[in-house]
Amino acid sequence: MVPLLSSKTHSPVYLFANTTGMLALFQLVFILFSLFVISQAFRRRKHGLLSTPGMLFWVVLWLSAIGSVLYPDITQVIASYFGIGRGTDFVVYSAFAIMFFVLFRLHIKIESLQRDITKIVRKDALEEVQK
Amino acid sequence: MILAVVPAYNEEANIHQVVKNLRQFVDKVVVVDDASTDKTFSEAQKAGATVIRHKLNRGQGAALETGHTYARSVSADTVVHFDGDGQFDPAEIPQALAFLKKHKANVLLGSRFLEKKSNIPAFKKIVLLPLARLFDRVFTGLSLSDAHNGFRILDKKALHTMHLVQNRMAHASEIPQQIKQHSLKFVEFPVTVQYTRYGQSAHGAIAIIKDTLTGLFIR
Repeated sequence: MVPLLSSKTHSPVYLFANTTGMLALFQLVFILFSLFVISQAFRRRKHGLLSTPGMLFWVVLWLSAIGSVLYPDITQVIASYFGIGRGTDFVVYSAFAIMFFVLFRLHIKIESLQRDITKIVRKDALEEVQK
Repeated sequence: MILAVVPAYNEEANIHQVVKNLRQFVDKVVVVDDASTDKTFSEAQKAGATVIRHKLNRGQGAALETGHTYARSVSADTVVHFDGDGQFDPAEIPQALAFLKKHKANVLLGSRFLEKKSNIPAFKKIVLLPLARLFDRVFTGLSLSDAHNGFRILDKKALHTMHLVQNRMAHASEIPQQIKQHSLKFVEFPVTVQYTRYGQSAHGAIAIIKDTLTGLFIR
């Protein structure tokens, strides 16, 4: 078992002091994007388009994304904990699982909306014929 | 009162004749015009049907349920499902009604297979319809000789217990499902089907499977 957050695996990657300039740029862009999405989640909550649990889901998701970009080694630790070889693989697998879950919910929601639309169309059609 | 429900989408070519023929055998013909873009509405009205018009296209299942809701509101005793494209023969209705009564059943389901008198396209007969039957057996638990036949008769009990929620073609699997769920008695009755055009294709079958599976997850 890999020790969780040992000094060896848990080394913070410094944003701008990094010698690999490409990674630092990716980190910067990714974090800015994540912050943008989080701000959107807050905004949607404020406008009532998102429930509080819904907002928390997205905020936690994007905060953990920021975390794993700042400290890529964390994903490595979690991955080996789950028996997955590379940290990146772990991220990809989880992303897929979450994506399909969200897609599934979306699909069900659309179908449920379709049925609501039918109810309105039916009510309207029947009122019209009784006139 | 015996009421025929005819779901129709762009059937201006056939609907007049269908309504006219139907009126000889039932007390009232209700055409549910599912937001047709042609003259289905006026043609059906001219032929003497009560026409209920959906402002948006909602699919055949939705149209049938609209017909049911109307039938309940006018206290119909018996509802006949009838296709608007003229592939059924309305002269078979009286025999079907007598058959339903004789067997004291709540639902009569038309079948193309009890007697070999329909001219079914080969691919449909050998591949699509057997698959549909298998699908229905798995999902509804009812063993039917013809899975997706648009000719049905519901008695008052069936009309008041069944509520279709599948908007599109999956209602044909939903009906056997609900028959089982509400322990309704059903009989199958041989009907003649004239294939003026193909109707449900393999593509349609996939859509039905998709809709039925989705339906499992919706309250």
